[in-house]
Parts: sequence; structure tokens; C-alpha cells
Amino acid sequence: MIDGLLELARRRLEQGGGADALERRVERTSVAFEWGRLKAAGVTEEAGVNLRVLHRGRVGVAGTTNVGAENVGAGDAGAQHAALLLDRALASAELGEELALAFPSRAKLPRVTTHVQRTADASLARLIEIGQFLLERLTREGCQVNVAIERDVSDTRVANTAGAEGAYRSTGVAVSADVWRIAGDDVLAIGDAIESTDLPSEDALEGVVRSITSRLDHALRIVAPPEGALPVVFTPAGLSAVLLPVTQGLSGKAVLQGISPLATRVGQRVFDECFSLTDDPLAPGRTASRPLDDECVPSRGTGLVERGVVQRFIYDLETAARATTASTGHGKRGIFGKPVPGYTNLILGESGDGRRETWRELGGGLLKGINDGLLVDDLIGVGQGNVIGGAFSHPVALAYRIERGEIAGRVKDAAVAGNVYELLKRIAGLGNDARWTGSRFTPSLLLEGVAVARR
Amino acid sequence: MIDRLTAALAASRADYTEIRVEQTWSSAVTMRGRRLESATASEDQGGFVRALNRGSGWGTASFTSLDQLAAMVVRADELSRAVLLERPIQLAPVPPQRAEGILDLDGDVRGVPLAEKKRLIEAYNGAMLAVSDRIVDTLATYRDEVSEYWYVNSEGAVLHELRPEVTLSGTAVARRDGTIEKGLESIGLRRGWRSVQDKAAGFRAVAERAVLLLDAPTVTGGTYPVVLDPELAGVFIHEAFGHLSEADFVYENPQAREMMTLGRRFGKPVLNVGDNGAASGLRGTLPFDDEGTPTQDTALIREGILVGRLHSRETAAAMHERPTGNARAISFRHPPIVRMTNTYIGNGRGTFEDLIRDLKLGVYACGAFGGQTMLENFSFTAAYGYMIRDGQVAELVKDVVLAGNLFQTLDRIDHIAGDFRWNQMGGGCGKGGQFPLPVTEGAPHVRIEEALIGGDLPND
Repeated sequence: MIDGLLELARRRLEQGGGADALERRVERTSVAFEWGRLKAAGVTEEAGVNLRVLHRGRVGVAGTTNVGAENVGAGDAGAQHAALLLDRALASAELGEELALAFPSRAKLPRVTTHVQRTADASLARLIEIGQFLLERLTREGCQVNVAIERDVSDTRVANTAGAEGAYRSTGVAVSADVWRIAGDDVLAIGDAIESTDLPSEDALEGVVRSITSRLDHALRIVAPPEGALPVVFTPAGLSAVLLPVTQGLSGKAVLQGISPLATRVGQRVFDECFSLTDDPLAPGRTASRPLDDECVPSRGTGLVERGVVQRFIYDLETAARATTASTGHGKRGIFGKPVPGYTNLILGESGDGRRETWRELGGGLLKGINDGLLVDDLIGVGQGNVIGGAFSHPVALAYRIERGEIAGRVKDAAVAGNVYELLKRIAGLGNDARWTGSRFTPSLLLEGVAVARR
Repeated sequence: MIDRLTAALAASRADYTEIRVEQTWSSAVTMRGRRLESATASEDQGGFVRALNRGSGWGTASFTSLDQLAAMVVRADELSRAVLLERPIQLAPVPPQRAEGILDLDGDVRGVPLAEKKRLIEAYNGAMLAVSDRIVDTLATYRDEVSEYWYVNSEGAVLHELRPEVTLSGTAVARRDGTIEKGLESIGLRRGWRSVQDKAAGFRAVAERAVLLLDAPTVTGGTYPVVLDPELAGVFIHEAFGHLSEADFVYENPQAREMMTLGRRFGKPVLNVGDNGAASGLRGTLPFDDEGTPTQDTALIREGILVGRLHSRETAAAMHERPTGNARAISFRHPPIVRMTNTYIGNGRGTFEDLIRDLKLGVYACGAFGGQTMLENFSFTAAYGYMIRDGQVAELVKDVVLAGNLFQTLDRIDHIAGDFRWNQMGGGCGKGGQFPLPVTEGAPHVRIEEALIGGDLPND
């Protein structure tokens, strides 16, 4: 384990120095159904160590997957690997910037279930069965189905020279399916994905089937797109373009760089009163949940926006040190490179809201009052360009026209544009269809005055 | 290592087995503004086993601990046997190759101290900062790696390669009041330390352009004749057409197969498109792909007609075509899938001036900030552009977004100049969770007779 590595670091570092390290071992089993049939099964076994040192007031990092079957720091080969890794971290620190980085001391960790034994125990046959179920339910004339199942069992251990440490085992199952329909030059692909620490229930799988087939049924009819400043319903998946500028703006790193429009807005009402945003590393059943972050900071929920008022930004140890504030426990690190601030489970609503997932019809009950508008499920080019400013403009990948309170059909060749900070000032409605999309929990949102153009 | 791998192969019970092992040394230095953000050196190593049995599917195993090699060969075989298939997977024949490929390291980056790499990127970063006090932020990254690579399969292929790579990237952010503009520089080479010296001019140029863009008007949205510079034309052909030519998209999908029938007209006779994994010295170049198939120059569109596609051994067998050396994996963590290498629009005739001479009003779109294709629709953001007025390049414009339908747009390419060049950029291609794969794109100036340009949409 990394204890030997940190012990070695303690001996080599001078007074005032310090170090922290993360070790992660992942075992992944994956099953792939390609174009309607089971094609491949695979395993991945990966282990690596990331080390950071504070040496003569400067920070350096190094990572390696060359940890051998032996643990780093244990045995002769292990000790040799550890010494090489430490050398590289010290070389990195020689060039590194001066920073008053303080490693957290030992603290009590909250309880959170990250590991479900039956997930770890599930056989390959059980994973294939899940895929087979989806494949059978989604197969239809003129369409092709892809399904992928991934089961992870991982062990994470973090520790530092200040005495803090934590270790946890997590499990995760990710199930994704997409249905392709090509008719002439019209290419349509509709997919969904679910993820949990536990194996998916039959209800959850049925939810995936309903979500895909309802969007597919509505997509078969192609209608002309509307035009103008219109009411637009963004589904939980379609919300990415709207939420991305906000989550980027709430990162302490963006605030430090001076590029966050929210930097000076703490305590101010920036969004509609019904808009709250919480990051919850203790959400039950979620694969991003953990008792402590990758820098030994204990997990706790972070209220980012409460009833439209900006509360705080997320920080890891380094950005917190530079901003002379405290880490919010958002340190994320891989095997290579240094930690960066990152979200865990992002919830549109209050902490705890993520426990009530509801599978409802497309539009989440928001369509009723809309005479002419759009429902957006997927956009092209989200994340391109100057995102953090809040302005967006994207062609639609999957969108439907709403007429007289109902879905009239799929629109192609349409684009939507607007400014997130303008649009989120007034939210015309939150849907009753809140669900997890990856590690984000949101309902559909109805926004008014979104520019819709034909092209 | 080869002996270890061939011994492991010999122990495999599977009908077909292949093993890849990689050991990669890499380093990276990042500057942000005047600050060093990080300087790291990393070591990554691991292996990948793929097994196939008659009547079964693929079994794969990837691992970071080479001590596990023998056990992983057994796991891959077991996994293959657990996947029962009615229609068997066939592999198109490839004569087994034995080769030792040491690519030109051009100054082995492993021998250069991290401090010196820092000095290099600091200088390029400084070149951007020195342009103007309007440059309020920069990001500059130096990254290199050398990968030692071994590949063996049960048909007798034995490959050993040393693959270098070095990339430089720079972002300059210019600001005046509320207006923010940026310029991007990116250089990516399958070479070493010597090839990234004396590159300050490119960094300076993108910073200067970011400052100029502060005063440039936003392009007026609408339909125009559009001329793409070689960089944007290359990105366009990769994103908008290249991915459709990857045979794993079509080989088992009858509707897709119909859409991509060889012989279908995709463009006017001026249009030639290909993918060349054997081109000399480019980032997407390698002697063999990750199934041991030699790379080659594959024609995809010839005089406007679809004539070929990119294959792995499996897709080639399924479509009764020949493997093209396009089965690639970004690392030992992944199976090889059908990917592009160096994708290009073939050279035409004449000069850039010939393309714009008869245009009364048009847009000259240059460079690429990004692009995405989804199904048959695409959206590309040019780094900058110029209006074309009365046959001449006129004022600088910004926010040039090119969006449209792939089939329509390819068919509207009506003039291609004779000034072909490869764009030696960093970054890479993403597909199926594998990113970034080193690829290159190349093209001459290309004219589209009519395309939609927009960034701003009408707000009422």
C-alpha cells in the first residue's frame, strides 16, 4: 500500500514538507452487444499510484501504473518502484510553484454505502442476462440495437503525512442502450444510460426501455421546426448546454482565473427562486459517492445555489490554498497529473432530492400549457466555444415540436440559442420527471424566450 | 519480452490469440498566465489480450500488472467461450508480419531534463503574453511520450516498435471590457525534442489574432459561398465524412450499409478523399495497426464516387473486402476498433485566388476551435474568418460557425485548389470511449458553393 511510500517521503522530505498519495485498483467486467447481438466480453485490471509532495515550499506530482503485483512500498521491487516515484515527484516539485499547501489532519469520516456485495458477486452470465433483456425489449423492425454493460469493483485508498487516511471499496454498474434507425439519409439514434452501485432492478430496465421507445415513437414523424422566441422544454439529458456554464462558473478554479461571471455574485440572487443546486457526495446508490475526496477531505454536501442565490464555489486543496479559503472536499485525482476540483453528484434541488427518481412521460408534465414550442433532448456541440460566458447556440440532435400541449413530431434542421444567465432568471416550470443522467439529478425545465431558428 | 509473449501465446487454448504490451514514458509541463501550473513525468505500462474461438465472440483482458500475463490469457479465452454466436466472427487474412520498427526519435525526449522542457514552453508562453497587455490569460502545454510497443498473435506476427510523440498547445485569451476572444496554437508530431524548437512565431501569431478579433465584427448569419482553409477543410472531412467511412458503423447494419453503398455519388468530380496511415512522418502514421496489418493509402471517394472504406480484419471479412490497417487502440486499456489515421481531401488545381475570384460576397473560414458531427448533421466553429467581397479577401470577422447536413454539404464542394498541406496538430480523435487517438488531417483550400454560416440566431 501507499503507507510505505509516505513513510519513505517522510524520511526524504525536509522540515515543513509533506506528501499525500492515492492508490486505486479497478476491476472492470464489460459485455458488449453490437448491432443486435452479443459480440464481446472483457475484463480490465488496473492499478496505479499518484503521489504529491510539498518540498521546500513547492508542489510536485508523479504517477505510475508500474506498481507490480507487489504493493508499492512493500518488498524489494515495491521499495524500488516507490523510490523512483518519489524521485520523479521531487523533480516535479523543483519546478513547481510555491504554495502554502496544508494537508488535512485525521478526521472522522461520514458513513456512506459505496459497495454492494451482490454487484461485486454478479457473474458474467448475470450481466449478459441484463443486456439480453434490453436487447429483446428494444428490438424492432428497421432498427439496430447496441447495448453495453460495465461492472466496476474498485478499491481506493488515500493518505497523507499529516495522519489523515481513508479507504473504501466501491461497486458500480453502468448500463447503456441505443437504438439506430436509418431510413434513406435520415439517421436517428436514441439512447439512454443508467448507473448505480447496485444491479439494476427490472423496473429500472423497464424505465430505460420506456424512455427509448417513447422518444423513438414520437420521432418517426418529422415536422417542420417552429421559429422565434419560444417556450422550450429541456429534458434532463437536454439540459447539459444550460447547466454547463453554471457548473463551470461555480468552480473555484474558474473564479481564481478571473473568468467566472459568478465570481462576485455570492449572496446575490442570480437565478429563479425555484433554482437550487447541490453537490452531494453522500447520495445513496450513486457511483460518484465516497466518504472522503481524493485528498483526504471528509465528504459533505455542498449547497452551491440556494433558492436562486449563489452560496459558494467548489475547491480542492490547491485552489483553496491559492484563494485562501478551505477545500470543500472536491479534490479529484487520477493516476497521472495533479488533483483538480470536480463535482460528485450534482443535484438540481436540495440535498436528498436525488433519492426520489421518477419515470414519467416525455416532457415531465410541462407540455400542457405550450401552444407552440420545442422539447430539446440532445444538442450538437455542447462544450464548444466560450461556454463560461453563458451564451449558447447549438443545432439540435434530437428535438420535438410541441403544438397545443402535445408532441407533434421530431424536428430536424433547427437550432436553439440563448444566454443561460438570462434564461434561468425566470423558470416557467420544473417537470415531475426528475432523474439521474450520469452523475447529475434534474427534472425537465421549461424556459421561455429561447431563440429557435430553422436552418 | 518477445519470448515472454510468445510463451504466453503458446499456452493459450483459444483458436486465435493476440497480445499487445506497451510501456510509455511521458512528461508534461503546463503554464497558465505567468504561473507554472504543473510539471510531471509519468510512467504507464500494461498489456491487452484478445482471444477468439469458433462459434464464440471476442474475449478481452487488459491489465497493468505484467505478472498477470499468463492468467489474463486464460481469462480472455474463458470470456470468449462465454459469448456464444450463431454467425461466427471471421478475420480477413493478413500475412503475419515480423518487424522491428524504430521510428525516428529526432532527439529522444527521455534524455531531456524536465527543467529544459519547462524553459521551452515558458518561452512560447512568454511569446503570447508579450504580444499586448490585452492578453489577459494564457495556457501553454508541452507534452511528450515515448512508447515501446510489442505485438504478437497466434498466426505468427511479431512486432516491436518504439513510437515517439510530442505536442505543443497554446491558448491566448484577449479581453477588453466584456469582450473575450481567444487564439489557439497546436502542434503535434510523431517525432522528438528537435522538432519542437523555434516554434515561437506560431504562438505569437495566435495571440496577435486574438487581439485583432476584439475589434472584429461578428459575421452576419446567412447562406454564403464559403471557402475553407486547409486546416478547417481537414477537420471537416475527418468529422463529417471520415467517421461514416469506418466500416464498423456499417458492416452489420443493413440500413447503414445501403446508405454507404460503394459507387454512390457523394460529391462532384473534383472531390477526392482518402486515408493514409503510411504517409511519412505524420502523427497518425504507424507501420502497422494494432492487429498487425500494414497501414496503407486507402481511397474513400474518387472523383465524387464512394470507392472504399476503412476496415479492421473483422469488418473486412464481414463485407468481403480487404483489411486496410485501420484497427487502432489508444492504449493497452482498449481493444482495437476501426479508426482513421491521416485523412485527407486530395489536391485539386489552381490557387486560393482562383477560388475567390468570381465570388461577389462570401466567407473565408479559417482554423478550427472545435467541431462535432452527430449522425448526418455537423457544426464547426472556425477560429476566425474573413469576408470575401468582389473577389478579394476583405475584413476579419468572428464567431464563424458552419453548420449543415453532411450529404448536402459534400455535394456542394465545387472547387478545390492545388495547395494541399497536412495540418500537424495536437489533440486527437475520440470514438467509443477512446480519446485522444493521434490522427492528422490534410487538405487544400476548398470551396463550398453554398453553406449556412451563423453564430448568433435572431432573438425574436
